Amino acid sequence: MARVEYEDVWKQFASQGAPAVRGLSLDIADGELLVLLGPSGCGKTTALRMLAGLEEPDRGDIRIAGTSVVGREPKDRDVALVFQSYALYPHLSARENIRYPLKLRKMSRAEQDKRVDHVADMLGIARLLPRRPSQLSGGEQQRVALARAIVREPRVFLMDEPLSNLDAKLRVHTRTELKTLQRELGTTMVFVTHDQAEAMSLANRIAILSAGELQQIGTPDEVYDHPANLFVAEFIGSPPMNLLEVTRDGDTLVAADGWRLPAPLTRERPAGELMVGLRPEAIAIKSEGHAAEVVAVEPLGSEVIVDVRIAGKALKVRAAPSVRPQPGSTVHLAVEPGGVRLFDRSTGSALH
Amino acid sequence: MTAAARAISGTGPSRRPRARPLEWLLVHLAFVAVSAFFLAPFLWLFGAAFDENATAYIHWPSAPTFNNFIRIFTEHDFGVALGNSVFVSVATMLLVVVTVSLAGYSLSRIELRRKDWITYGILLLQTMPLSATMVPIYGLARQLGLRNSYLGLILIHATIELPFLVWLMKGFFDSVPRQLEEASWLDGRTKLRALIEIVLPLARPGLGIAAGLSFLSAWAEVLMVIILVDQQSMKTVPLAFYEAMRNQGGYTEVQYGVIAAMAILYLMPVMAVFIGARRLMVRGLMSSTRGL
Repeated sequence: MARVEYEDVWKQFASQGAPAVRGLSLDIADGELLVLLGPSGCGKTTALRMLAGLEEPDRGDIRIAGTSVVGREPKDRDVALVFQSYALYPHLSARENIRYPLKLRKMSRAEQDKRVDHVADMLGIARLLPRRPSQLSGGEQQRVALARAIVREPRVFLMDEPLSNLDAKLRVHTRTELKTLQRELGTTMVFVTHDQAEAMSLANRIAILSAGELQQIGTPDEVYDHPANLFVAEFIGSPPMNLLEVTRDGDTLVAADGWRLPAPLTRERPAGELMVGLRPEAIAIKSEGHAAEVVAVEPLGSEVIVDVRIAGKALKVRAAPSVRPQPGSTVHLAVEPGGVRLFDRSTGSALH
Repeated sequence: MTAAARAISGTGPSRRPRARPLEWLLVHLAFVAVSAFFLAPFLWLFGAAFDENATAYIHWPSAPTFNNFIRIFTEHDFGVALGNSVFVSVATMLLVVVTVSLAGYSLSRIELRRKDWITYGILLLQTMPLSATMVPIYGLARQLGLRNSYLGLILIHATIELPFLVWLMKGFFDSVPRQLEEASWLDGRTKLRALIEIVLPLARPGLGIAAGLSFLSAWAEVLMVIILVDQQSMKTVPLAFYEAMRNQGGYTEVQYGVIAAMAILYLMPVMAVFIGARRLMVRGLMSSTRGL
């Protein structure tokens, strides 16, 4: 168990033009589950690999439990990594795979077996132990990989998209299990994913990366409710935040087609070119309000996503399952001031 | 249902139309001819080895005898030659396996500038005919005191096969996912240990080929032995052959029975290696054609 710190970490690969990681600073608390989230190529895996010692940063420092690990061999870092491909040793049985990290320790074979059995029981894979990886399904391989990481009792767990090769149902199930497991073990975990729903459901905090740079770090609620910039606003949430270009007119904001929106209270006085962000649930379909044309209706069971258009701009509105306007009909939209987010269009940053 | 009935109704497993008799006969005659062509030398070997008056033609000995086998050990020091050949070939094999493991791994994994050039350069070395470099090799061996020495033979035999086998092993290492090694490092292994515990077992078919081919090549190599060895105590089996022909009154009065007996003993270790490693080698050769 340990605190993990990144301090102004840079990494450039010779084969690429732009740095993979630019000035990343993170402070991950002991026992925290931090998710590194971003699209592919955003540097999240590189950041994780630098913590594991599989890549070395060009600049900056990485510390585990207060001690710098830069320049240390992976074997000396006491971190366990679960790969996206699981990286199980194909020529060893599941039992030998799980035992492998224990083999170098001063520990009797009986004790090693005891620990392997304990972890296998915990993950419900005891009956799979004699099999080779090729005889296991994807979900079973994933568990063996997890067991191999857990059995070591490392200071930090590193997860490189470990759920992305599972089918959708198993993925959601394993997600819950993993979160429970991490809480019970109390071990710091850094989890890399490109799936924002996975990130939201797992994380204590989410760090969102784009083009090698940290965009925002915060709890799932923080990044959802108060995205730091347009990138985060668009990346987090499904469907994503609706974005509209607006101009300021006194206390109101005017969008295309003359839709007047209440301006949120901001410390900085908004000026220049502005962008408004509206979560689909921040827009309500009411009997009165701005008129919009219904383009499509997507019933999702527990809710309905209504696609509307205002002056050629598509918006998504989240509504109760009973709301079923006809495509082509006109609905009226209303927005509460608390649901409006304001961004500077030129810099992309949120205005608070 | 009989096979014929099945063939007619077309429901059975063998739907291939039956060959016509003439076709059958021609195909089998061709097989017999080809087999005879390849088996004839072996037939001669076994005939001649047990015949004290063997000739260059195939004929069954009138009075089969082991005298030829006894003579090669008593008159021709074949025991020494056989021992030298076994020692040199096994040592070459070990040296090659260790070297191509490390070199192939390095070429596969280490990021180098101009790595392509190095890789192709190694393959280019393999295309050089040995006879072209024979003279400088002789000179070098003389200066370094490697003539009439095991070390000299082992080094040169290993070098002959190295370029190709390094290239081959690179292909095998390329097919072992890098993440397996990384997982091993994180599980507490040094790079060398991860190579030995994880990568090499997965590249085993490649090692099988490297071991088999280097042994066979060292076992069969003649040219370099003739150049580097002139002491009786250092000669290997190919040189023993050469001398058996040369020393017995020139090339006209060859003692075929002696040569045939030597040949049979010479073939046996090769057969043993092949039978022992055939599965591994076949698997390796098949995956190497896929992997490269």
